[in-house]
Amino acid sequence: MKRVECEFEAEVLDAVFQGRWPEQAGEPLRAHAAQCEICRDVAAVAGAISESREALVAEAALPDASRVWRRSQLRARQEAVQAAGRPITAAQVIAFACAMGLLGAVFGATSTWFQGALGRMASFEAGAMLASASKLLMEHGAFVLSLVAAVFLVPAVFYVALGRE
Amino acid sequence: MFRDTTFSDLNRSDAADEARTEFVVDEDAFRGFYERTSRGLWAYLVRITGDRELADDLLQETYYRFLRAAATHESEAHRRNSVYLIAGNLARDARRRSLARIPAIPAGEEIEQVSSASPAGSPEGRADLNRAMSALQPRERAMLWLAYAEGASHEEIAGALGIRRGSLKTLLYRTRRKMAALLGGRRP
Ligand SMILES: [Zn+2]
Repeated sequence: MKRVECEFEAEVLDAVFQGRWPEQAGEPLRAHAAQCEICRDVAAVAGAISESREALVAEAALPDASRVWRRSQLRARQEAVQAAGRPITAAQVIAFACAMGLLGAVFGATSTWFQGALGRMASFEAGAMLASASKLLMEHGAFVLSLVAAVFLVPAVFYVALGRE
Repeated sequence: MFRDTTFSDLNRSDAADEARTEFVVDEDAFRGFYERTSRGLWAYLVRITGDRELADDLLQETYYRFLRAAATHESEAHRRNSVYLIAGNLARDARRRSLARIPAIPAGEEIEQVSSASPAGSPEGRADLNRAMSALQPRERAMLWLAYAEGASHEEIAGALGIRRGSLKTLLYRTRRKMAALLGGRRP
């Protein structure tokens, strides 16, 4: 198997990082690197890259820490507000659907008219349907009106609320 | 371990349960950490993206995500690994998003311009490095930079780049060979 590491490469790397390479690295290490391909590559590559890092670091013009901190806090708050808004909207939609389902179930179970109408629907008598519809309006007028309001108004409110996001 | 690792432990796991807008790290600790790491991290971003403006943006995004993550870290080294990992991922995402806008392998003109204005090192050597870096894949650039600019351990490099630790030695060897050849054996 091909050798990909050398026991002296860490030493060579330290010498490069500490600015001792090659003059102050010591003759034995220099002599080793002269005949070791790995250490020679490490010295050349680490030397060039290290130098480039020094140059970039020296000229970096960065925002100060307090500014980065303040901006991060501001952004975190904005995102928290946005995130809090979303689950409430979803919960409201689910709650509305549940309420409508429950309302329908209660109405269906308790209204004699509704059960009678269901039975008549099977025999499909249009005249009787019309008559029973007017009977329903007289008996449950307020309920029917609020049901109609819920069916049309609530989606309109949701549309406006979601549209604002 | 990365070079210049000097950090006392500032672990505050109990603060993690606080309101979501409260960061786990407090402002003073963050300021110290930022001052110790931001310049090196910016240099890393400049090198792997080849774009200074993008590096400016990604630097701020990196620290924001670091603060937002609400992760507790055992030590400075872990915190440092964490920001290099975030930065590397952001750079990769930015590259994917804007392949049409930014060349996959930047020509390095901007870096060259920057470097030649710098007083440190020989301009000739820096131009060589820019050309050589531009010829590498982004992951190769990141690998060499972490190893030879940041002095990161194999484990840290593998973690930051999502490479299996067992493959790293061979990959690093090959990439270093390639880079040395690109540098033209100019250095001893
Ligand atoms: Zn060797």
